[in-house]
Amino acid sequence: MKFIIQLLIFCSLGLCYSQANNFKGTIKDKSSNLPIPGANIVIVESNTGYITDFDGNFSFESSEKTVRVEISSIGYKTMTATINSSDSIVILLEESIEALDEVVVTGYGSQLKRDLTGSVSVLGSKQIDKIRPIKLEQALQGTVAGVNVSTQSGAPGAGINIRIRGISTNGDASPVAIIDGYQGDLSLLNPSDIESITVLKDAQAAIYGTIGANGVLLITTKQGRKDSPTKFTWESSLGVQTTSRKLPLLNAKEYGILLNESYTNDGRFPVISNVSELGEGYEWQDEVFKNAAIERHALTLSGGSISTKFSIGASSLKQQGIVGLDKSSFDRKTLRSNVGFDLSDKLKLNTSVIYTNIRRNSINDFGLGSVLFNAINMPPIYNAYDENNDFTLAPSNLGIEIINPLAQVSNTFNDYRLDKINGTIGLEYSPLEGLTFNSRIGFNAANSKSRNFSKLINYGGKVFDVTRSSVNQNRINNNDYSIDNFINYKFAINEQKVAVTIGSTLFKNYGDALFATGFDVPNNSWENADISLANGTSTEKTSGAYSYDQRRLSYFARFQYDFKNKIFFSGLMRRDASTKFGPQNRIGVFPSVTGGYILSEEQYFKKIDWINFLKIRASYGLLGSDKIGDFLYLSQLTGEGVYVFDNQLSFGRAIGVVPNSAVKWEASEQLDLGLDATFFNNNINVTFDYFQKTTNDLLIQNIPVSGILGVRAPGSGSPTVNAGEIFNEGYELMIKYSTSFGENFYLTSSINATTLNNRVTKVNNSVGFVEGGSFGVGQQAPSRMEVGFPIGYFYGYETDGIFQNRSEVISHPSQVALGAPAAPGDFRYKDLNEDGVIDDKDRTYIGDPIPDFTFGYNLNLNYKNIDFSLNAFASVGQEIVRNYERVQLNANKLDYYIERWRGEGTSNSVPRMTTRSTSNNVFSDFFVEDGSFLRLQTIQLGYSLPQSILGKIQLDQFRLFVTAENILTLTRYKGYDPSASSGAPIGSGIDNGFYPIPKTITAGVNIKF
Amino acid sequence: MRIITKISFLLSLCIYVSCSDEFVNIEPQYSIDSENYFNVPEDYNQAVIAAYDLLQTTYLNAMLGEIASDNSLCGGESASDVPGFQQIDDMIHTPNNDNLQDLWDWMFSGVQRATYVIEFKDKIDFTGKDKLIAEAYFLRAYYNFELVKWFGPIPIKPNARFEVGDETSIPRSPVEEVYSYIEEDLLLSLESLPLDVLEKGRVSSGAAKSLLGKVYLYQNKFEFAANVLDEVIDSNVYGLEPNYGMIFENDGENGMGSVFEVQYTDLEGAGFDCFQCSEGNIAVGFNGIRQYNGPLFDSGFSFNVLTQSLVDAFEIGDIRKEVAVLDIEDWASKTGATYGTGYEHTGYFNRKYIARKGDSNIGDQNLTNPNNYRAIRYADVLLMAAEAHARKSSPDNLKSNSYLNMVRSRAFSDNISQISLSGEALVDAIFNERRVEFAGEGHRFFDLVRTGKAQDFIDGFVINKHEIFPVPLQEIQFSNGNWNQNQGY
Repeated sequence: MKFIIQLLIFCSLGLCYSQANNFKGTIKDKSSNLPIPGANIVIVESNTGYITDFDGNFSFESSEKTVRVEISSIGYKTMTATINSSDSIVILLEESIEALDEVVVTGYGSQLKRDLTGSVSVLGSKQIDKIRPIKLEQALQGTVAGVNVSTQSGAPGAGINIRIRGISTNGDASPVAIIDGYQGDLSLLNPSDIESITVLKDAQAAIYGTIGANGVLLITTKQGRKDSPTKFTWESSLGVQTTSRKLPLLNAKEYGILLNESYTNDGRFPVISNVSELGEGYEWQDEVFKNAAIERHALTLSGGSISTKFSIGASSLKQQGIVGLDKSSFDRKTLRSNVGFDLSDKLKLNTSVIYTNIRRNSINDFGLGSVLFNAINMPPIYNAYDENNDFTLAPSNLGIEIINPLAQVSNTFNDYRLDKINGTIGLEYSPLEGLTFNSRIGFNAANSKSRNFSKLINYGGKVFDVTRSSVNQNRINNNDYSIDNFINYKFAINEQKVAVTIGSTLFKNYGDALFATGFDVPNNSWENADISLANGTSTEKTSGAYSYDQRRLSYFARFQYDFKNKIFFSGLMRRDASTKFGPQNRIGVFPSVTGGYILSEEQYFKKIDWINFLKIRASYGLLGSDKIGDFLYLSQLTGEGVYVFDNQLSFGRAIGVVPNSAVKWEASEQLDLGLDATFFNNNINVTFDYFQKTTNDLLIQNIPVSGILGVRAPGSGSPTVNAGEIFNEGYELMIKYSTSFGENFYLTSSINATTLNNRVTKVNNSVGFVEGGSFGVGQQAPSRMEVGFPIGYFYGYETDGIFQNRSEVISHPSQVALGAPAAPGDFRYKDLNEDGVIDDKDRTYIGDPIPDFTFGYNLNLNYKNIDFSLNAFASVGQEIVRNYERVQLNANKLDYYIERWRGEGTSNSVPRMTTRSTSNNVFSDFFVEDGSFLRLQTIQLGYSLPQSILGKIQLDQFRLFVTAENILTLTRYKGYDPSASSGAPIGSGIDNGFYPIPKTITAGVNIKF
Repeated sequence: MRIITKISFLLSLCIYVSCSDEFVNIEPQYSIDSENYFNVPEDYNQAVIAAYDLLQTTYLNAMLGEIASDNSLCGGESASDVPGFQQIDDMIHTPNNDNLQDLWDWMFSGVQRATYVIEFKDKIDFTGKDKLIAEAYFLRAYYNFELVKWFGPIPIKPNARFEVGDETSIPRSPVEEVYSYIEEDLLLSLESLPLDVLEKGRVSSGAAKSLLGKVYLYQNKFEFAANVLDEVIDSNVYGLEPNYGMIFENDGENGMGSVFEVQYTDLEGAGFDCFQCSEGNIAVGFNGIRQYNGPLFDSGFSFNVLTQSLVDAFEIGDIRKEVAVLDIEDWASKTGATYGTGYEHTGYFNRKYIARKGDSNIGDQNLTNPNNYRAIRYADVLLMAAEAHARKSSPDNLKSNSYLNMVRSRAFSDNISQISLSGEALVDAIFNERRVEFAGEGHRFFDLVRTGKAQDFIDGFVINKHEIFPVPLQEIQFSNGNWNQNQGY
């Protein structure tokens, strides 16, 4: 490279004497029109090459008037063109959708994409920008096969769950995020700081040993580039959010009719008079949902000199909530500085520091007692405000939970702030060709404080009445650091290349927290809500604290072999010791092997010109998950020991649940068979994988053990033991297509699909299953983890239509055990065990929350200065449980109740209205709905000012754009949002009233200079 | 540049080399877990209280010790009420028996809690520590004695608590070893137990000696038994309560004849989901008169009903009969009380341990009766001593008769009942005396077994099988081949 620059300099100094034909021009990116520095332009005949400078310009002379040149640059399709001598040549390069020579970050190193033998997907910053995620996890939805992302709630700042290749555990199934080499939290990152996300899905992640079982996300922040001009990138946008859905509820008239019918069906007098005069009534949902603003700004500055590179970024995000506006808001500010120095030609120093500040306010947004729960259950015959414009009180005949939701929002006061710094400093030393010593430290330091005010309030005898004001405050401190030391050595012998990595990582995660509550806030106001002013005390304990310290020490080694650039093999081994594991199992060892064969390098395939690249690969390995509780091998003194001395009770202390000194990580055995191919001049790219994951040693509580351990003592219990096993298998397919029509029209589109088959294969406790989740009030648990079924499947009764008349009731087995004797208009439940009675033994599988298929679709179109992109996601085959209806006589209902049974033959699907108790509300398939959905996540349309104008105002890009997010969701699900899930492995898929994800329309501008 | 290079290289090597697995061997901060407890004297007291707690589950041992024998029938509501009890009554019990599982689990829990204290006995020093440790030794011996009586060979681990995995590696020690372990524990406890206890319910040295005597007697070590029981008698700490009827009433709790008594109370509620948590005497509710309505007594579940043979065993003039036996028909006709009849109704109830009026009846009232269990009475010490003296290699008939007569003179208001016998006749007389003195107190079955007489008195009793009870099936399974089931089951 240096040689070529020197040649260029010589030539420009005029030291080359020959008939000079000048060739000068710029090489630019076709879609963005931005110049490409460092691109190669090679004259084919003489094989002389030149590279473009900072501004994408090249200049050379030739004795010929016309030359044939080959132009190439990383990330772009290599192009051959014939150019004429001229001073203003412009060559446009198309992005390559499959940059096989792209360098992909893998664990503790990097590899060329074509050499990868594991199942690895890469998401670049361009793709991330098209989705414009608020939180980085959203960028993974619908873009990477095998990755399933779901929100815990649509509330601003709410948590997001990522699951790679199914749900592998009944514990914490989230993947680990490695940011620039250190373990970190990706949910707080600013998406415009990110250069790429590499998803390690199979045994490729085994180099991370006990943190790799759920997959690994390798996140690289923008680093800048050496030898490049300083560039500014600025983006600002402003958007409006509205709710993506309102539930179809009964209006006032329908409500009146149905409520009266409840009474008249039981032979009582109707309670609402003049029903015919009731109209639509009050629309509570309309009052509760507001249009909320979202404002975002981001600035990135990057560049580099001969020996440095830097990228500095700042961002600000302000998001209001569609329920509660500022009471449900999320503010994030970040500042990042990445600087890399070449201290010498052998020694490099990399630094990265990110400061994040978050402020969040929240309302009760989930389940019984949440704002939306109240909004959908408040009858439409009441108003939110009275004549004096004060909030009305919900009447007492609605039970003790339902209150005026607008009053609830207005009386919610809380504040949460987080300050965090994370970053890394690392040294890379290469004394010899191919040998690199790496030493780095990465850290996270975060402090949060929160304040929660319970205002003295009377809702009229409700459970949310507060008789004594109080303020609850806490301070939480979380820190961690990772120290990596590793050596990479690459060498080649003839046609064989070998790369060896050996190293160690030390990780410590520690922190503490302090909580306290003060009572009697002066003036009962938020302004005074602080413990320093709340001087009231209580007889119960009002303060608490905790601290923790977890450590892990790991050693790893990797061997990679490459024969003739077509046969690849790698072996990995990792050894982890962790404080989480019991003394009997302190150390885990995780080996894996991967291999690949590039068929397209063989002579036979080279003849097939429509196959450009074909690789088959396989991987197999053992990984682990250490996301288990801390110190499960220690026994706490929580048992009960009470005796009687002198006729008085004497209280002693005893051991509680029996500990398990053999507790260890959850182990995952993973197999992957895959195929990568590109066809038709790299226009079509296909990746196909078959995967199988068996996760065993899942931690299950209450495992029966021998009585000699004292488990039957009062207050004691059986230990938590690694005793479960889950099996996941499926297929992933990704097809990308790109093409261009002429000079101006350019299109890429990709679709990815994943199928998943999930089955629990072992639960070694005394009953063979673990229950979880909750449904209704006081009912049995609706979800189970049980051998032979998907994890978290729904276990309940099967309905068989509705009893139309008395004789049908009599001829069917008695349903009294379910709560009340049946009557015409009630559900008929199936007698599954045929024992002549309907009781809790007649329950079975009635659905599960795990999708059978997920699809993602992405489309990008460029036409001249206009760009368009679309991102859609679909999830098919999962069920959701409808659990947001308050079973209370006077509460409002969804409008499907209009189709209730009113007499023989009127309905076979919705039961009768009544004031008395029935068995119709037990957990049955009536409450399980198909949760499949297709959602248009992002649609974006942009217009960039043409080159001619940009040149005059000295900008590289000025782009205006409009984005619509979540504007369309196609689903049969009746609730707010079919994509929301609590993320709990047993008990997810139960909708207690999820805050829906907002629909957003945003307009903004991108400027680059 | 070169210096920086060298320093950074050395630094990275240093960090690399200084890591060792010690980095991950840490203790959690601010947590009192079972391994860093016992820091102050109060910790020891509290742990010992927790070890006492499991004594309250021996209501089950007392009930089954009668039901298994010829003293009572199972009773209950129907033939399927508590199948575990029913089967033991009929000598058709199997390893799959919930109540035997309970007994095994609860007694081992007691051993575990007592061992917990003993494990940390040397951690700190303070006045009064030795007494607390001695109580722990006694309690462990008590629980192990129950276990060896009921199940024969059991796993033992003197110096530490049982851990997960011990069931597959620690064998069931033969009965001789278990007994010698029990003897050691009791001898250790005797080093520091007081003669008089400060709180009613605590273990005294007399209790330990009496238990030791019983343990020797069960092994037919008559010489040893006689010696240690004599010490108790000669200490003059205990005496026979003259008013026999008072012994089992609430006012007679912890009386002069009480050597060791399991304490219960009606101050705390209890439920059917956790029998071991109850502070009340569950046997009393179970033994109670079904659907009773009348003076003095409260109702119960009509288990453990007395047999005619027991009623007939009382000699004429024996005042103990009307204390031990409640003839319900007679009582009803005298007082106008009403009652229901349960399964196997005999008309006779275990009057010593049925529910009485006057307690708080806190819910569930059948589980919260405050009647203490008189585990070792002075009369037992006397009769055991009498037996030991009569059966040892050179019998001391004088002592034996005198002790026996002390018990009899309380039971009969005249002197005709006094005995002077020797040899087999004396031993038989003591054997019969035990039946009527301790009717309904849970000792009969083991008295029959240890004297080799069980098959003569118990229907369905099979020799070399029913002397001990089967180890619970689950335990055999957990042991993974380490433990074999008792012969015959």
